[in-house]
Amino acid sequence: MAALTVEAPAPRGRALALPRVLAIYLVLLVPMGLVVWFVAWPIVATVLHSFDHIGVRGTVGAFAGLANYRFLFAQPLFAVVLRNTAIYAGLSVVLCVVLAFLLALLLTGRGAVSRLLLVAIFSPTVMPMIAAANIWLYFLAPRFGLVGKILAVFGIHTGNLLGQPGSALGVLVVLFVWKYAPYFTLFLMAGLQAIPQSVREALRTEDPGGWHAFRSVILPMLTPMIAFVTTMALLYAAETVDPVYVMTQGGPNNATNLLMFYLYQLGFNYFAWGGAAALSALLMGGLSSLSALALIGLERRAFHWQ
Amino acid sequence: MAVSVALGLVALVWGFPTLWALWATFTSSGGGVTLANLSGALAAAPFGAYALNTVLIVGGLLVVQTVFGALVGFILARYDFPGKPLVTGLFLLQIVVPVYAVLIQDYEIVQGLHLLDTRTGVMLPYLVSGIAILAFRQAFRTVPRELDEAARMDGYGTLGVFRRVYLPRALPALLAFAVISVTYHWTDFLWPLIVTNTAHARPIVVGLAAVAEASESGLQWNLLAAATSIVIVPVLAVFIAGTRRILSAFAASFDW
Repeated sequence: MAALTVEAPAPRGRALALPRVLAIYLVLLVPMGLVVWFVAWPIVATVLHSFDHIGVRGTVGAFAGLANYRFLFAQPLFAVVLRNTAIYAGLSVVLCVVLAFLLALLLTGRGAVSRLLLVAIFSPTVMPMIAAANIWLYFLAPRFGLVGKILAVFGIHTGNLLGQPGSALGVLVVLFVWKYAPYFTLFLMAGLQAIPQSVREALRTEDPGGWHAFRSVILPMLTPMIAFVTTMALLYAAETVDPVYVMTQGGPNNATNLLMFYLYQLGFNYFAWGGAAALSALLMGGLSSLSALALIGLERRAFHWQ
Repeated sequence: MAVSVALGLVALVWGFPTLWALWATFTSSGGGVTLANLSGALAAAPFGAYALNTVLIVGGLLVVQTVFGALVGFILARYDFPGKPLVTGLFLLQIVVPVYAVLIQDYEIVQGLHLLDTRTGVMLPYLVSGIAILAFRQAFRTVPRELDEAARMDGYGTLGVFRRVYLPRALPALLAFAVISVTYHWTDFLWPLIVTNTAHARPIVVGLAAVAEASESGLQWNLLAAATSIVIVPVLAVFIAGTRRILSAFAASFDW
Protein backbone atom coordinates (compact mmCIF):
# COMPACT_ATOMS: atom_id res chain seq x y z
CA MET A 1 0.00 0.00 0.00
CA ALA A 2 2.60 2.50 1.12
CA ALA A 3 4.78 1.79 -1.91
CA LEU A 4 1.85 2.37 -4.27
CA THR A 5 1.01 5.79 -2.91
CA VAL A 6 4.62 6.86 -3.23
CA GLU A 7 4.53 6.01 -6.95
CA ALA A 8 1.30 7.98 -7.47
CA PRO A 9 1.53 10.76 -10.09
CA ALA A 10 1.06 13.58 -7.62
CA PRO A 11 4.43 15.18 -6.94
CA ARG A 12 5.82 14.11 -3.61
CA GLY A 13 8.11 16.39 -1.73
CA ARG A 14 7.87 19.33 -4.10
CA ALA A 15 10.14 22.14 -2.91
CA LEU A 16 8.07 24.27 -0.59
CA ALA A 17 8.11 28.04 -0.65
CA LEU A 18 9.54 29.73 2.41
CA PRO A 19 6.15 30.95 3.74
CA ARG A 20 4.90 27.34 3.56
CA VAL A 21 7.89 26.09 5.57
CA LEU A 22 7.35 28.81 8.13
CA ALA A 23 3.67 27.90 8.41
CA ILE A 24 4.61 24.25 9.01
CA TYR A 25 7.04 25.16 11.76
CA LEU A 26 4.46 27.49 13.28
CA VAL A 27 2.09 24.52 13.65
CA LEU A 28 4.93 22.34 14.97
CA LEU A 29 6.10 24.99 17.44
CA VAL A 30 3.88 24.06 20.39
CA PRO A 31 4.15 20.22 20.19
CA MET A 32 7.90 20.41 19.58
CA GLY A 33 8.30 22.91 22.39
CA LEU A 34 6.47 20.60 24.80
CA VAL A 35 8.67 17.62 23.91
CA VAL A 36 11.83 19.69 24.27
CA TRP A 37 10.60 21.06 27.60
CA PHE A 38 9.49 17.80 29.22
CA VAL A 39 11.62 15.16 27.49
CA ALA A 40 14.64 16.41 25.56
CA TRP A 41 15.90 19.05 27.99
CA PRO A 42 15.26 16.86 31.09
CA ILE A 43 17.44 14.19 29.47
CA VAL A 44 20.32 16.64 29.16
CA ALA A 45 19.66 18.09 32.61
CA THR A 46 19.49 14.63 34.22
CA VAL A 47 22.90 13.73 32.85
CA LEU A 48 24.43 17.13 33.69
CA HIS A 49 22.99 17.28 37.22
CA SER A 50 24.17 13.80 38.00
CA PHE A 51 27.67 15.35 38.12
CA ASP A 52 26.65 18.23 40.43
CA HIS A 53 26.17 18.54 44.16
CA ILE A 54 22.45 18.56 44.93
CA GLY A 55 21.09 19.75 48.27
CA VAL A 56 18.38 18.04 50.35
CA ARG A 57 15.78 20.39 48.85
CA GLY A 58 16.84 19.55 45.32
CA THR A 59 18.82 22.75 44.66
CA VAL A 60 21.73 22.25 42.29
CA GLY A 61 25.14 23.32 43.56
CA ALA A 62 28.75 23.11 42.39
CA PHE A 63 30.29 20.52 40.09
CA ALA A 64 30.85 17.31 42.01
CA GLY A 65 32.52 15.03 39.51
CA LEU A 66 31.60 11.42 40.14
CA ALA A 67 30.60 11.97 43.79
CA ASN A 68 26.92 11.14 43.21
CA TYR A 69 27.80 7.92 41.40
CA ARG A 70 30.30 7.01 44.13
CA PHE A 71 27.63 7.65 46.75
CA LEU A 72 25.15 5.45 44.87
CA PHE A 73 27.54 2.53 44.38
CA ALA A 74 28.70 2.81 48.00
CA GLN A 75 25.16 2.06 49.24
CA PRO A 76 25.02 -1.62 50.24
CA LEU A 77 21.30 -1.46 49.45
CA PHE A 78 21.98 -0.56 45.79
CA ALA A 79 23.63 -3.94 45.14
CA VAL A 80 20.68 -5.70 46.80
CA VAL A 81 18.23 -3.71 44.68
CA LEU A 82 20.11 -4.52 41.47
CA ARG A 83 20.12 -8.21 42.34
CA ASN A 84 16.39 -8.18 43.20
CA THR A 85 15.53 -6.40 39.98
CA ALA A 86 17.61 -8.79 37.88
CA ILE A 87 15.96 -11.88 39.42
CA TYR A 88 12.49 -10.35 39.25
CA ALA A 89 12.83 -9.12 35.67
CA GLY A 90 14.46 -12.31 34.40
CA LEU A 91 11.82 -14.64 35.82
CA SER A 92 8.92 -12.34 34.94
CA VAL A 93 9.91 -11.82 31.33
CA VAL A 94 10.58 -15.47 30.52
CA LEU A 95 7.36 -16.74 32.15
CA CYS A 96 5.31 -13.90 30.72
CA VAL A 97 6.45 -14.30 27.11
CA VAL A 98 6.14 -18.10 27.11
CA LEU A 99 2.65 -17.92 28.57
CA ALA A 100 1.59 -15.11 26.22
CA PHE A 101 2.81 -17.11 23.27
CA LEU A 102 0.86 -20.23 24.29
CA LEU A 103 -2.22 -18.12 24.94
CA ALA A 104 -1.94 -16.43 21.53
CA LEU A 105 -1.75 -19.84 19.84
CA LEU A 106 -4.79 -21.06 21.79
CA LEU A 107 -6.82 -17.97 20.93
CA THR A 108 -6.00 -17.74 17.20
CA GLY A 109 -6.09 -21.44 16.43
CA ARG A 110 -9.88 -21.57 16.39
CA GLY A 111 -12.93 -19.65 15.29
CA ALA A 112 -14.90 -17.32 17.49
CA VAL A 113 -13.95 -17.33 21.16
CA SER A 114 -16.85 -16.45 23.42
CA ARG A 115 -16.96 -12.92 24.76
CA LEU A 116 -17.18 -14.17 28.35
CA LEU A 117 -13.87 -15.99 27.88
CA LEU A 118 -12.23 -12.95 26.31
CA VAL A 119 -13.45 -10.61 29.05
CA ALA A 120 -12.20 -13.01 31.74
CA ILE A 121 -8.78 -13.40 30.16
CA PHE A 122 -8.27 -9.70 29.44
CA SER A 123 -9.76 -8.35 32.66
CA PRO A 124 -6.30 -8.04 34.28
CA THR A 125 -5.18 -5.98 31.28
CA VAL A 126 -7.73 -3.21 31.80
CA MET A 127 -7.28 -3.28 35.58
CA PRO A 128 -4.86 -0.80 37.16
CA MET A 129 -1.88 -2.56 38.76
CA ILE A 130 -2.79 -0.91 42.07
CA ALA A 131 -6.25 -2.54 42.01
CA ALA A 132 -4.76 -5.91 41.07
CA ALA A 133 -2.22 -5.63 43.88
CA ASN A 134 -5.03 -4.91 46.36
CA ILE A 135 -6.99 -7.98 45.36
CA TRP A 136 -3.92 -10.19 45.53
CA LEU A 137 -3.06 -8.75 48.91
CA TYR A 138 -6.37 -10.15 50.10
CA PHE A 139 -5.85 -13.55 48.46
CA LEU A 140 -2.46 -13.79 50.14
CA ALA A 141 -3.52 -12.68 53.59
CA PRO A 142 -2.06 -14.99 56.26
CA ARG A 143 -4.47 -17.51 57.83
CA PHE A 144 -7.68 -16.67 55.94
CA GLY A 145 -6.26 -15.91 52.47
CA LEU A 146 -7.44 -18.04 49.56
CA VAL A 147 -3.99 -18.91 48.23
CA GLY A 148 -2.87 -20.28 51.60
CA LYS A 149 -6.00 -22.41 51.86
CA ILE A 150 -5.58 -23.84 48.36
CA LEU A 151 -1.93 -24.68 48.98
CA ALA A 152 -2.92 -26.29 52.29
CA VAL A 153 -5.21 -28.68 50.39
CA PHE A 154 -2.07 -29.96 48.66
CA GLY A 155 -0.31 -30.24 52.00
CA ILE A 156 1.82 -27.13 51.51
CA HIS A 157 1.80 -24.85 54.54
CA THR A 158 3.41 -21.57 53.70
CA GLY A 159 2.71 -19.06 56.43
CA ASN A 160 2.79 -15.46 55.28
CA LEU A 161 3.96 -15.54 51.66
CA LEU A 162 4.63 -11.80 51.66
CA GLY A 163 6.51 -12.03 54.97
CA GLN A 164 9.39 -14.16 53.70
CA PRO A 165 12.05 -12.71 51.39
CA GLY A 166 12.08 -15.39 48.67
CA SER A 167 8.37 -15.99 48.43
CA ALA A 168 7.59 -12.26 48.53
CA LEU A 169 9.63 -11.67 45.39
CA GLY A 170 7.99 -14.78 43.89
CA VAL A 171 4.55 -13.31 44.55
CA LEU A 172 5.54 -10.15 42.65
CA VAL A 173 6.68 -12.31 39.71
CA VAL A 174 3.36 -14.20 39.67
CA LEU A 175 1.45 -10.93 39.84
CA PHE A 176 3.42 -9.52 36.91
CA VAL A 177 2.81 -12.63 34.80
CA TRP A 178 -0.90 -12.67 35.64
CA LYS A 179 -1.30 -8.97 34.86
CA TYR A 180 0.77 -8.68 31.69
CA ALA A 181 0.71 -12.08 29.93
CA PRO A 182 -2.73 -11.34 28.35
CA TYR A 183 -1.54 -7.88 27.32
CA PHE A 184 1.43 -9.28 25.43
CA THR A 185 -0.85 -11.97 24.02
CA LEU A 186 -2.60 -9.13 22.15
CA PHE A 187 0.60 -8.22 20.30
CA LEU A 188 1.41 -11.83 19.48
CA MET A 189 -2.15 -12.37 18.23
CA ALA A 190 -1.74 -9.35 15.98
CA GLY A 191 1.45 -10.96 14.70
CA LEU A 192 -0.24 -14.31 14.08
CA GLN A 193 -3.20 -12.71 12.34
CA ALA A 194 -0.86 -10.77 10.06
CA ILE A 195 0.31 -14.07 8.58
CA PRO A 196 -1.63 -14.28 5.28
CA GLN A 197 -4.53 -16.72 5.23
CA SER A 198 -3.09 -18.30 2.04
CA VAL A 199 0.12 -19.19 3.86
CA ARG A 200 -1.81 -20.83 6.66
CA GLU A 201 -4.05 -22.72 4.21
CA ALA A 202 -1.06 -23.98 2.26
CA LEU A 203 0.64 -25.16 5.43
CA ARG A 204 -2.47 -26.96 6.57
CA THR A 205 -2.65 -29.06 3.36
CA GLU A 206 1.08 -29.70 3.09
CA ASP A 207 1.78 -30.49 6.70
CA PRO A 208 -1.40 -31.46 8.57
CA GLY A 209 0.50 -32.33 11.76
CA GLY A 210 1.70 -28.77 11.85
CA TRP A 211 4.79 -29.04 14.02
CA HIS A 212 7.32 -28.83 11.19
CA ALA A 213 5.42 -26.02 9.46
CA PHE A 214 5.15 -24.22 12.75
CA ARG A 215 8.86 -24.37 13.40
CA SER A 216 10.09 -23.59 9.89
CA VAL A 217 7.50 -21.03 8.74
CA ILE A 218 5.30 -19.57 11.49
CA LEU A 219 7.96 -19.16 14.15
CA PRO A 220 10.45 -17.28 11.92
CA MET A 221 7.65 -14.97 10.76
CA LEU A 222 6.79 -14.24 14.38
CA THR A 223 10.36 -13.74 15.57
CA PRO A 224 10.40 -9.93 15.22
CA MET A 225 7.14 -9.68 17.17
CA ILE A 226 8.47 -12.01 19.88
CA ALA A 227 11.59 -9.86 20.11
CA PHE A 228 9.42 -6.76 20.44
CA VAL A 229 7.25 -8.31 23.15
CA THR A 230 10.28 -9.57 25.08
CA THR A 231 11.88 -6.14 25.09
CA MET A 232 8.63 -4.48 26.13
CA ALA A 233 8.19 -7.01 28.95
CA LEU A 234 11.72 -6.34 30.13
CA LEU A 235 11.00 -2.60 30.09
CA TYR A 236 7.80 -3.04 32.07
CA ALA A 237 9.49 -5.31 34.59
CA ALA A 238 12.37 -2.86 35.06
CA GLU A 239 9.85 -0.06 35.67
CA THR A 240 7.75 -2.01 38.19
CA VAL A 241 6.89 0.08 41.22
CA ASP A 242 3.12 -0.01 41.88
CA PRO A 243 2.84 -3.49 43.46
CA VAL A 244 5.95 -2.87 45.55
CA TYR A 245 4.37 0.30 46.87
CA VAL A 246 1.05 -1.37 47.77
CA MET A 247 2.07 -4.90 48.78
CA THR A 248 5.48 -4.80 50.42
CA GLN A 249 6.99 -1.29 50.55
CA GLY A 250 10.21 -3.04 49.51
CA GLY A 251 10.21 -5.47 52.44
CA PRO A 252 10.69 -7.86 54.09
CA ASN A 253 14.26 -6.75 54.73
CA ASN A 254 14.46 -5.09 51.27
CA ALA A 255 13.90 -8.42 49.51
CA THR A 256 11.38 -6.81 47.13
CA ASN A 257 13.03 -3.40 46.81
CA LEU A 258 13.23 -2.88 43.02
CA LEU A 259 15.06 -0.15 41.07
CA MET A 260 12.14 2.19 40.49
CA PHE A 261 10.96 1.97 44.10
CA TYR A 262 14.52 2.58 45.26
CA LEU A 263 14.69 5.71 43.09
CA TYR A 264 11.44 6.91 44.64
CA GLN A 265 12.82 6.25 48.13
CA LEU A 266 16.15 7.96 47.42
CA GLY A 267 14.40 11.11 46.26
CA PHE A 268 11.14 11.40 48.12
CA ASN A 269 11.91 9.50 51.36
CA TYR A 270 15.63 10.05 52.03
CA PHE A 271 16.03 13.32 50.05
CA ALA A 272 19.30 11.95 48.69
CA TRP A 273 18.78 13.85 45.46
CA GLY A 274 22.40 13.43 44.35
CA GLY A 275 22.17 9.65 44.43
CA ALA A 276 18.73 9.88 42.84
CA ALA A 277 20.14 11.99 40.00
CA ALA A 278 22.89 9.46 39.35
CA LEU A 279 20.42 6.57 39.40
CA SER A 280 18.06 8.54 37.09
CA ALA A 281 20.85 9.03 34.56
CA LEU A 282 21.71 5.32 34.64
CA LEU A 283 18.05 4.29 34.37
CA MET A 284 17.50 6.68 31.49
CA GLY A 285 20.37 5.20 29.54
CA GLY A 286 19.19 1.64 30.22
CA LEU A 287 15.46 2.07 29.73
CA SER A 288 15.78 4.27 26.65
CA SER A 289 18.10 1.85 24.88
CA LEU A 290 15.65 -0.94 25.71
CA SER A 291 12.66 0.85 24.21
CA ALA A 292 14.72 1.97 21.22
CA LEU A 293 15.49 -1.71 20.66
CA ALA A 294 11.78 -2.54 20.90
CA LEU A 295 10.91 0.13 18.36
CA ILE A 296 13.61 -1.05 15.96
CA GLY A 297 12.19 -4.56 16.33
CA LEU A 298 8.75 -3.31 15.36
CA GLU A 299 10.13 -1.38 12.38
CA ARG A 300 11.96 -4.47 11.19
CA ARG A 301 8.70 -6.33 11.36
CA ALA A 302 7.21 -3.68 9.08
CA PHE A 303 10.07 -4.11 6.59
CA HIS A 304 9.55 -7.82 6.79
CA TRP A 305 6.04 -7.43 5.46
CA GLN A 306 6.31 -4.71 2.86
CA MET B 1 -11.82 -30.07 23.09
CA ALA B 2 -8.50 -29.95 24.88
CA VAL B 3 -8.10 -26.37 23.66
CA SER B 4 -11.47 -25.40 25.10
CA VAL B 5 -10.62 -26.93 28.47
CA ALA B 6 -7.27 -25.16 28.54
CA LEU B 7 -8.85 -21.84 27.59
CA GLY B 8 -11.56 -22.32 30.19
CA LEU B 9 -8.98 -22.95 32.90
CA VAL B 10 -6.96 -19.90 31.89
CA ALA B 11 -10.11 -17.77 31.86
CA LEU B 12 -10.99 -19.04 35.35
CA VAL B 13 -7.60 -18.22 36.86
CA TRP B 14 -7.27 -14.89 35.08
CA GLY B 15 -10.86 -13.77 35.58
CA PHE B 16 -11.33 -14.96 39.14
CA PRO B 17 -9.80 -11.98 40.99
CA THR B 18 -12.11 -9.55 39.17
CA LEU B 19 -15.07 -11.74 39.89
CA TRP B 20 -14.08 -11.96 43.53
CA ALA B 21 -13.70 -8.19 43.90
CA LEU B 22 -17.21 -7.70 42.51
CA TRP B 23 -18.59 -10.48 44.72
CA ALA B 24 -17.00 -9.07 47.90
CA THR B 25 -18.31 -5.63 47.01
CA PHE B 26 -21.94 -6.59 46.76
CA THR B 27 -22.25 -9.19 49.54
CA SER B 28 -22.28 -8.68 53.28
CA SER B 29 -20.40 -10.94 55.67
CA GLY B 30 -23.72 -12.69 56.34
CA GLY B 31 -24.03 -13.56 52.64
CA GLY B 32 -26.84 -11.23 51.57
CA VAL B 33 -26.69 -8.70 48.77
CA THR B 34 -25.79 -5.23 50.01
CA LEU B 35 -24.72 -1.78 48.89
CA ALA B 36 -23.27 -0.97 52.32
CA ASN B 37 -19.68 -1.70 51.26
CA LEU B 38 -20.01 0.63 48.32
CA SER B 39 -21.37 3.49 50.38
CA GLY B 40 -18.80 2.75 53.09
CA ALA B 41 -15.97 3.02 50.56
CA LEU B 42 -17.43 6.22 49.15
CA ALA B 43 -17.53 7.63 52.68
CA ALA B 44 -13.99 6.47 53.53
CA ALA B 45 -12.41 8.61 50.79
CA PRO B 46 -13.58 11.29 48.38
CA PHE B 47 -13.86 8.85 45.49
CA GLY B 48 -16.31 11.12 43.68
CA ALA B 49 -13.68 13.86 43.49
CA TYR B 50 -10.96 11.31 42.59
CA ALA B 51 -13.08 9.87 39.79
CA LEU B 52 -13.82 13.34 38.44
CA ASN B 53 -10.07 14.10 38.45
CA THR B 54 -9.35 10.88 36.58
CA VAL B 55 -12.04 11.56 33.97
CA LEU B 56 -10.82 15.13 33.42
CA ILE B 57 -7.16 14.08 33.24
CA VAL B 58 -7.71 11.07 30.97
CA GLY B 59 -10.25 12.85 28.76
CA GLY B 60 -8.27 16.07 28.54
CA LEU B 61 -5.10 14.20 27.63
CA LEU B 62 -6.90 12.18 24.97
CA VAL B 63 -8.25 15.35 23.32
CA VAL B 64 -4.95 17.25 23.37
CA GLN B 65 -2.87 14.22 22.31
CA THR B 66 -5.29 13.56 19.45
CA VAL B 67 -5.19 17.16 18.18
CA PHE B 68 -1.38 17.28 18.27
CA GLY B 69 -1.17 13.73 16.89
CA ALA B 70 -3.42 14.51 13.91
CA LEU B 71 -1.73 17.84 13.08
CA VAL B 72 1.85 16.59 13.36
CA GLY B 73 0.97 13.23 11.80
CA PHE B 74 -0.55 15.01 8.79
CA ILE B 75 2.50 17.24 8.33
CA LEU B 76 4.91 14.31 8.59
CA ALA B 77 2.82 12.18 6.21
CA ARG B 78 2.30 14.73 3.44
CA TYR B 79 5.02 17.39 3.46
CA ASP B 80 8.76 17.40 2.95
CA PHE B 81 10.49 20.34 4.55
CA PRO B 82 13.99 21.19 5.76
CA GLY B 83 14.73 19.65 9.14
CA LYS B 84 12.09 16.92 8.85
CA PRO B 85 14.31 14.04 10.04
CA LEU B 86 15.21 16.03 13.13
CA VAL B 87 11.54 16.76 13.86
CA THR B 88 10.62 13.09 13.42
CA GLY B 89 13.52 12.12 15.68
CA LEU B 90 12.33 14.45 18.42
CA PHE B 91 8.88 12.85 18.50
CA LEU B 92 10.42 9.35 18.40
CA LEU B 93 12.44 10.39 21.45
CA GLN B 94 9.16 11.01 23.26
CA ILE B 95 8.21 7.36 22.67
CA VAL B 96 11.61 5.94 23.51
CA VAL B 97 12.30 7.80 26.77
CA PRO B 98 9.86 6.65 29.46
CA VAL B 99 8.50 9.48 31.60
CA TYR B 100 9.81 7.51 34.59
CA ALA B 101 13.38 8.15 33.43
CA VAL B 102 12.96 11.93 33.63
CA LEU B 103 10.59 11.80 36.60
CA ILE B 104 12.63 14.01 38.91
CA GLN B 105 13.38 16.68 36.28
CA ASP B 106 9.71 16.84 35.28
CA TYR B 107 8.73 17.08 38.93
CA GLU B 108 11.03 20.08 39.33
CA ILE B 109 9.56 21.77 36.24
CA VAL B 110 6.01 21.32 37.52
CA GLN B 111 7.11 22.51 40.97
CA GLY B 112 8.74 25.58 39.41
CA LEU B 113 5.47 26.41 37.64
CA HIS B 114 3.61 26.15 40.99
CA LEU B 115 1.43 23.46 39.43
CA LEU B 116 1.98 20.73 42.05
CA ASP B 117 -1.34 19.22 43.13
CA THR B 118 -3.20 20.46 40.05
CA ARG B 119 -4.71 18.45 37.22
CA THR B 120 -2.74 20.56 34.73
CA GLY B 121 0.45 19.53 36.50
CA VAL B 122 -0.45 15.85 36.16
CA MET B 123 -1.17 16.26 32.44
CA LEU B 124 1.67 18.56 31.34
CA PRO B 125 4.46 16.06 30.60
CA TYR B 126 2.08 13.82 28.61
CA LEU B 127 0.43 16.42 26.33
CA VAL B 128 2.29 15.29 23.22
CA SER B 129 2.20 11.57 22.41
CA GLY B 130 4.67 10.18 19.89
CA ILE B 131 2.51 7.05 19.56
CA ALA B 132 -0.45 9.22 18.46
CA ILE B 133 1.73 10.99 15.91
CA LEU B 134 3.01 7.71 14.47
CA ALA B 135 -0.49 6.20 14.36
CA PHE B 136 -1.97 9.19 12.52
CA ARG B 137 1.02 9.52 10.19
CA GLN B 138 0.58 5.89 9.19
CA ALA B 139 -3.17 6.26 8.63
CA PHE B 140 -2.79 9.46 6.59
CA ARG B 141 -0.15 7.87 4.37
CA THR B 142 -2.72 5.36 3.09
CA VAL B 143 -4.95 8.15 1.69
CA PRO B 144 -4.51 8.09 -2.13
CA ARG B 145 -3.08 11.36 -3.40
CA GLU B 146 -5.72 11.43 -6.16
CA LEU B 147 -8.41 11.95 -3.51
CA ASP B 148 -6.40 14.80 -2.06
CA GLU B 149 -5.97 16.41 -5.52
CA ALA B 150 -9.63 15.93 -6.42
CA ALA B 151 -10.77 17.68 -3.24
CA ARG B 152 -8.42 20.57 -3.98
CA MET B 153 -9.88 20.80 -7.52
CA ASP B 154 -13.29 21.09 -5.87
CA GLY B 155 -12.01 24.22 -4.21
CA TYR B 156 -11.19 23.01 -0.70
CA GLY B 157 -8.22 24.56 1.07
CA THR B 158 -5.68 22.51 3.07
CA LEU B 159 -7.88 22.63 6.16
CA GLY B 160 -10.96 21.49 4.21
CA VAL B 161 -9.04 18.63 2.58
CA PHE B 162 -7.68 17.64 5.99
CA ARG B 163 -11.16 17.54 7.51
CA ARG B 164 -13.05 15.93 4.65
CA VAL B 165 -10.52 13.55 3.13
CA TYR B 166 -7.97 12.68 5.80
CA LEU B 167 -9.72 12.68 9.16
CA PRO B 168 -12.45 10.15 8.22
CA ARG B 169 -9.71 7.73 7.12
CA ALA B 170 -8.00 7.95 10.47
CA LEU B 171 -10.89 6.80 12.65
CA PRO B 172 -9.59 3.22 13.25
CA ALA B 173 -6.19 4.63 14.18
CA LEU B 174 -7.93 7.05 16.52
CA LEU B 175 -9.85 4.23 18.25
CA ALA B 176 -6.69 2.15 18.66
CA PHE B 177 -4.79 5.08 20.04
CA ALA B 178 -7.66 6.00 22.37
CA VAL B 179 -7.54 2.49 23.86
CA ILE B 180 -3.79 2.72 24.46
CA SER B 181 -3.92 6.24 25.86
CA VAL B 182 -6.93 5.76 28.12
CA THR B 183 -5.71 2.49 29.66
CA TYR B 184 -2.25 3.95 30.18
CA HIS B 185 -3.35 7.15 31.91
CA TRP B 186 -6.24 5.51 33.78
CA THR B 187 -3.77 3.10 35.39
CA ASP B 188 -0.79 5.47 35.70
CA PHE B 189 0.37 5.65 39.31
CA LEU B 190 3.85 6.91 40.18
CA TRP B 191 3.73 10.28 38.40
CA PRO B 192 0.33 11.35 39.80
CA LEU B 193 1.40 10.01 43.21
CA ILE B 194 4.34 12.38 43.46
CA VAL B 195 2.73 15.49 41.96
CA THR B 196 -0.57 15.35 43.84
CA ASN B 197 -1.34 15.21 47.55
CA THR B 198 -5.00 16.13 48.01
CA ALA B 199 -8.38 15.32 46.48
CA HIS B 200 -7.96 18.57 44.54
CA ALA B 201 -6.08 16.77 41.76
CA ARG B 202 -5.50 13.20 42.93
CA PRO B 203 -6.74 10.56 40.46
CA ILE B 204 -8.71 7.52 41.57
CA VAL B 205 -5.84 5.00 41.34
CA VAL B 206 -3.69 7.05 43.71
CA GLY B 207 -6.72 7.45 45.99
CA LEU B 208 -7.18 3.68 46.00
CA ALA B 209 -3.57 3.17 47.05
CA ALA B 210 -4.08 5.63 49.89
CA VAL B 211 -7.18 3.73 51.08
CA ALA B 212 -5.26 0.45 50.85
CA GLU B 213 -2.43 1.85 52.95
CA ALA B 214 -4.82 3.21 55.54
CA SER B 215 -6.79 -0.03 55.78
CA GLU B 216 -3.79 -2.33 55.97
CA SER B 217 -3.80 -2.24 59.72
CA GLY B 218 -7.59 -2.34 60.07
CA LEU B 219 -8.09 -4.81 57.21
CA GLN B 220 -11.58 -3.87 56.16
CA TRP B 221 -11.45 -6.07 53.11
CA ASN B 222 -14.98 -5.51 51.93
CA LEU B 223 -14.44 -1.76 51.89
CA LEU B 224 -11.20 -2.23 50.01
CA ALA B 225 -12.91 -4.56 47.54
CA ALA B 226 -15.64 -1.98 47.04
CA ALA B 227 -13.07 0.76 46.42
CA THR B 228 -11.30 -1.53 43.96
CA SER B 229 -14.59 -2.20 42.17
CA ILE B 230 -15.24 1.52 41.84
CA VAL B 231 -11.92 1.75 40.03
CA ILE B 232 -12.24 -1.27 37.75
CA VAL B 233 -15.95 -1.34 36.83
CA PRO B 234 -15.95 1.66 34.43
CA VAL B 235 -13.09 0.35 32.26
CA LEU B 236 -14.46 -3.18 32.47
CA ALA B 237 -17.87 -1.95 31.26
CA VAL B 238 -16.30 -0.20 28.26
CA PHE B 239 -14.27 -3.31 27.49
CA ILE B 240 -17.30 -5.61 27.71
CA ALA B 241 -19.31 -3.29 25.46
CA GLY B 242 -16.66 -3.16 22.76
CA THR B 243 -14.62 -6.35 23.28
CA ARG B 244 -14.22 -7.35 19.65
CA ARG B 245 -13.91 -3.87 18.20
CA ILE B 246 -11.23 -2.97 20.75
CA LEU B 247 -9.28 -6.20 20.21
CA SER B 248 -9.32 -5.82 16.42
CA ALA B 249 -8.44 -2.12 16.57
CA PHE B 250 -5.51 -3.12 18.73
CA ALA B 251 -4.41 -5.78 16.24
CA ALA B 252 -4.72 -3.29 13.36
CA SER B 253 -2.74 -0.58 15.12
CA PHE B 254 0.23 -2.92 15.45
CA ASP B 255 0.21 -3.77 11.79
CA TRP B 256 2.33 -0.85 10.67
